[in-house]
Amino acid sequence: MSKHHIEVTPEMKASDEAFLEGRTVGGDRYIKRHSRQARWTHGVTVLCCIWLMISGAFVFVPPLAQFAGSDVVFFFRMSHRVIGVAFVAVPIISAFAAPAGVKHIIHNNICHWTEDDKKWMILFLPYLFLAKWVHMPDQDEQKSGQRVADGALWICGIAMGITGVILLLNSTIMPVGVVAHSVLLFLHDLFFFVMLVFALAHIFLGAGIFQPYRGMWKVMWKDGLISESDALYHWGHWAREVLGSDNGVIRKKKGE
Amino acid sequence: MTEKAILFDSSRCTACRGCQVACKCWNDLPSEPTAERPYDSVNWDGKFTHPADLNSCTRLITTFNDFESESSQKRVGWAFGRRACQHCTEAGCVNICPAGALHKDPETGFITYDQSKCIGCQNCSSACPFDVPRYEDQGGKTVINKCSGCVDRVAHGMKPACVTTCQSGALQFGDRDEMIALANERVEFLHDHGYEDACIYGVDEMAGLHVIQVLKHGMDAHGAVANPSIPVTATLSGILKPVTAVGAGATVLGLAAMFGLAAGYKRDTLVYNDATGDTISLETGEVTKQGNGPDERSVKEALTENLPFVGSKKGGDGDE
Amino acid sequence: MQNTDVILNIGSNSVENHPVSSKWLHKAHDKGAKWMVVDPRYTRTAEQADIYCPIRSGTDIAFYGGLYNYIITNLIEPGLAEYTKTGKNPSNYNFEYLINYTNASYILMKDYEFDPATGLFSGWNEDSETYDAHSWHYETEEEIPWDTSATGAYNWSVAKGVPEFDKPVLAVPKKDASLQNKRCVYQKFKEHYSRYDLDTVCKICGMDKADLELVYSTWATSCAPGKAGTILYALGQTQHTYGAQNTRAMSVLQLLSGNIGVPGGGVCALRGEPNVQGATDMGMLVNEQPAYLKWSNTTDRDTLAHWLSSQTYSDGYYTNKPKFMVSQLKEWFGENATVKNDYGYDWWPKVPSHDGSDWTEMSSFEKMKEGTMKGYYAWGMNPCHSAPNSGNVRRSMANLDWAVTVDQVITETASFWDAPDMKAEEIGTTCYFLPCALIYEKPGTILNSGRWIQWRQQAVEPWDEAKPDYEICDLLWTEIRRLYKEQGGANPDPILKMKWDYYLDGKIDPRPVSWALNGYALEGSDWKSGFKSDAKGEKLTSGSINLLPGYADLAADGSTACGMWIYSGFYSNNEAPVSAESQPVYGRDNTDYGGLGLYNKWAYSWPDNRRVIYNRASADMNGQPWNKDKCLVKWDNKAKAWTTGKNTDGYDNPDFVASKSVTDPKTGVVTTTAIEPNNKAFFMLWEQNGRLESYGMVDGPLPEHYEPFETPLSENLINGRLNSPCYLGRPDTEGKKGLGTKYSDESTRRASADEFPYVATTYSVTEHWQTGAQTRACPALVEAMPGDMIEMSPALAQEKGVKTGDKVRVWNRRAEVIVTAVVTPRIRPLTVNGKTQHLVGMTHHYSWSKLFGLTTHGAVNDLTPNVGDPNSQTPEYKAFLVNFEKTSI
Repeated sequence: MSKHHIEVTPEMKASDEAFLEGRTVGGDRYIKRHSRQARWTHGVTVLCCIWLMISGAFVFVPPLAQFAGSDVVFFFRMSHRVIGVAFVAVPIISAFAAPAGVKHIIHNNICHWTEDDKKWMILFLPYLFLAKWVHMPDQDEQKSGQRVADGALWICGIAMGITGVILLLNSTIMPVGVVAHSVLLFLHDLFFFVMLVFALAHIFLGAGIFQPYRGMWKVMWKDGLISESDALYHWGHWAREVLGSDNGVIRKKKGE
Repeated sequence: MTEKAILFDSSRCTACRGCQVACKCWNDLPSEPTAERPYDSVNWDGKFTHPADLNSCTRLITTFNDFESESSQKRVGWAFGRRACQHCTEAGCVNICPAGALHKDPETGFITYDQSKCIGCQNCSSACPFDVPRYEDQGGKTVINKCSGCVDRVAHGMKPACVTTCQSGALQFGDRDEMIALANERVEFLHDHGYEDACIYGVDEMAGLHVIQVLKHGMDAHGAVANPSIPVTATLSGILKPVTAVGAGATVLGLAAMFGLAAGYKRDTLVYNDATGDTISLETGEVTKQGNGPDERSVKEALTENLPFVGSKKGGDGDE
Repeated sequence: MQNTDVILNIGSNSVENHPVSSKWLHKAHDKGAKWMVVDPRYTRTAEQADIYCPIRSGTDIAFYGGLYNYIITNLIEPGLAEYTKTGKNPSNYNFEYLINYTNASYILMKDYEFDPATGLFSGWNEDSETYDAHSWHYETEEEIPWDTSATGAYNWSVAKGVPEFDKPVLAVPKKDASLQNKRCVYQKFKEHYSRYDLDTVCKICGMDKADLELVYSTWATSCAPGKAGTILYALGQTQHTYGAQNTRAMSVLQLLSGNIGVPGGGVCALRGEPNVQGATDMGMLVNEQPAYLKWSNTTDRDTLAHWLSSQTYSDGYYTNKPKFMVSQLKEWFGENATVKNDYGYDWWPKVPSHDGSDWTEMSSFEKMKEGTMKGYYAWGMNPCHSAPNSGNVRRSMANLDWAVTVDQVITETASFWDAPDMKAEEIGTTCYFLPCALIYEKPGTILNSGRWIQWRQQAVEPWDEAKPDYEICDLLWTEIRRLYKEQGGANPDPILKMKWDYYLDGKIDPRPVSWALNGYALEGSDWKSGFKSDAKGEKLTSGSINLLPGYADLAADGSTACGMWIYSGFYSNNEAPVSAESQPVYGRDNTDYGGLGLYNKWAYSWPDNRRVIYNRASADMNGQPWNKDKCLVKWDNKAKAWTTGKNTDGYDNPDFVASKSVTDPKTGVVTTTAIEPNNKAFFMLWEQNGRLESYGMVDGPLPEHYEPFETPLSENLINGRLNSPCYLGRPDTEGKKGLGTKYSDESTRRASADEFPYVATTYSVTEHWQTGAQTRACPALVEAMPGDMIEMSPALAQEKGVKTGDKVRVWNRRAEVIVTAVVTPRIRPLTVNGKTQHLVGMTHHYSWSKLFGLTTHGAVNDLTPNVGDPNSQTPEYKAFLVNFEKTSI
């Protein structure tokens, strides 16, 4: 958004005023962003992921393992396997239940990068430190940065899922050999590292710890709705399109 | 105590497998054919090396390898091997073990372990150049099982069970230096007897093994690993731990800085009038954007337009 | 073994099957000995050796014959004339030994003959198919009767209480020390083996000439004075239709090489696994009772007088046999044995020799089939798995009224009715199983191949209801005797007059048995009061025993009793008769006093704790050792006496008469005089010289090559007779007339080479003990060696489309079995008589009994023929024919 003052024609100003008047009657507008299924899938996967990180840490962090003792570690290891299976299975089941959603996600993550997207990506790092002063270009449904971060999470999640499942099979029904085992362990650890960095950032932003993102948690964890204002801030292009089409837009009066 | 070693002299080994069985007896390890798992002898795979490899209840096996050889009058050779933990000085398993279950016995140099500490992660197997560690199921809990060097026996002045039972003198136990000296003598004897490939194994491998072997027909024939080293992945995994810690720490610090810098952030509530294409701030009533067009600023502009210290007219809090 | 210069393993895989022996072989090897293995397959022993030479199964005598020829041609003939002239040994051959200690110089009877065209020696009777050995004897120089006068050496034989018998007359043989007499043993021997040239031997044995020459020339180095070579043999030599001739052939080789009686020499019989040493000592044989004395029979040994007359030697140590026999009878029948009733000899069971029948293990099953034998004790034996043609065994056993098996586990014999091919509902045999204790579950003695006997303590209690064998014996015997007493029965005297009182503190006990085996004077022994031990477990508080120091004190007049003269002295400490730990047999001092590995104080080596038997031959005619670094006994020229283990630690007890003691009948003063060195190196023979030629075998005076019962050849390449003329088990159609026992076709069922082209041999692996009664009860051993195999060369495997691990059906006219294939370069095809001959090897450990790793696809011994050696009655397991094909299960 420009710092320059925008001159508006009187006709338009009148229309705007009428529009603002109408809002007080119609109530605030919200856009439906995430379906119930998407939110549940995300929620379960996140819980799994957290549990996997904690339980995995007992194997990954020697002092922790030694402090806890083998019985405790054994419990965490076994839970790591069970929860690991859930972590892999829940998104897969969900995907089968909603193929259109999968298509949507893929489309959003792999799509043409506009000039705004590129600019946004370049500005993102300064923005994180200078959010008060750096104003970001409008974005489509998925921010370019989001594509990168989510993509990384997806890739790491999938990679950890695959290596984890093979490691599980290795120790149960299908030994893969020592070399493969060792490579798998390394990959599992490597993807964990990458995932950890992105996950921390994701939580920082997604949970709204970062002040400009405050309240964003609701989109994924509450009702899947995003307020008109936040939508315009984060995904300006998308918000205008949706509001214009009025498709998936909900009006709520205060207190509703 | 000085460092100890088991000497395996393959040229005296009669492949009787007394060591394989004695290991099971002393360590109370079960065997495959039992009343619970009846076994029909006709199903044998015809391989002398049996079990085919170390397994959850087998810490030591005798290996057999017969081959034609034009180099000797006998025109055939039969190499016997002893497959078990080699008790490395540079023991990858000890370094990688997250639970502190594996450790080097200070008295002997043998790599021993505490099953009660083992968490069953099997990382040690990924760090072993000899593919030795195996895991036994202890009531649902899988824990490491491998040659312990019988440090319990050694502590009581006895030899390892396999050495005690060896009737031909192929296995001996004593100070590592002495075992190496014996092995060198034997290799010389074998060279004199026409076994040109005879060699000693374990002196320098992994900074020195605590199993010294005399390999009558050379390393390959007896199944010895040439130039063993800790697998690169295991080394990388070792490096990855601190990298992860540092990476995660840096990330958190960075995020904290962002949080700090964004303290007091505030912004106007925006609405959008589709009819005019105006995006309007509710607080000021000002139109902040018209239409849904692309951002027209340059990156530099976007970066600098509001920055207080770049001489901008406006500063301070979120302005829209 | 550690003192040897050349090791020859032939017909044995000592490293695998007698693993402890390998330690001593390695010691010799370390010191520079050459190690050779001659065997159909490259064994674990061959892997240790320096030289390996494959041989076709069953052609050992051809190999030895060629070696004799080699030694004669290369060592004896070139040096003999010079030696005769100078009397000095050359560096490469010991003429002094050959001429003085063997019968090489003895002149043979005029009609001694061998005809290569027929393959028969003189004395063959076509009707009875037996030899008359008369022509194999020596010509006599003079006859010397026993001096039984009051001061004569044999005065004891006419003393009061000694049974009457015809005193032997010593027929002093004619000799020619120059060995030039055409009829002397050496010349006949030389002529006989001149046919065994290198090419012929290679053709028969399937050997490579270079390999064979290397073996021969290496062995020849052991013929040098002061050098020694040792032969290690086992069942690969004995389990042939000419097995005893194989054994003789090795003895002959060692006499020819000057290797008997010297440290590092000898013919090493590797026993152990089936306890052959203990079994033969203890008389578990049809032809010998305990201590190698012949059983009584119904012909030449039908009375005590006949036994003594026929068995007592005219000279040498066996002139004392009457003492051994009377003392033995005295032990068996106790106070019931008197000179009047021939010490109970008539109560002793007789082998029915009058009809020529054999009562060997092999013929037992024929007798069951005929219905002659109706009851059967299988005690520590498992013939349904181990006997040749074991299918025939189990079918024969089905004719029994009852069968008792005494063993540690339910063996195939105990469950013969349960074999996959048997129909239990059609078998009327009542079967009993008596569980017995394992060696660790009872105290007693154990014996090794070197005749070392040692007392072992009980380690653990017997499992479940199992009892030691002697306790089972006692229970059975007591009950049988009670029934006889109360109800009477056939032939009661042997039962009721037998001495059976081996109780200590009210329980059957091996210690009174040891007293009986060791021998005791009746004076000072009281068996009647019942033996009770003192609190310390050393002395007797009730009853008494007067143990003899050794067999030299045995008498033929009924004043001594001894169950086992050869063991006499092993349990002789009268200070503490109850304490086995105080006895020579307990020996636990493992000090190697002389550095030759005699370990004189570890265990007890019968006889008389001698470690190297025939040790007189380790020294020259002047009593000086051939090799001064390896001295067993030595004549001290200054002291005019022998230095032996009797007076000096580190030496061996003399296996010859080193001194003579005479007791003055009036004063009772004993005077001992040393016997100067002489040529009597083998004093267990009447001629006291080793026999290159012997009339003692039923199937020929010299070892001659014959083909196995089943052979790939259609003719013998070296003489006109295919098989040994006398082998045991000749079927009705072939043998006849003279043979009392007919072997049925089912029992032997000969296979021909056109249909069954592969020579098979059987063997054991180190992990298993024979039929596996003990080892298949151990999961770790079953895991280590999990099945039976057929080993074959890669060439044969390719021809038959077989890979390692494939299941293979192996069959001949007797049976078929399925085993796992092992394809290995350790077995290689041989060229026999110009043609490629394949060999296969099979193990025989698994069968249907319900141990770990049971198989229902047949036992390998179902394939072996029920034929054997006529001297020792040992079956021919080691060479037979089979065919095979890949199959699936």
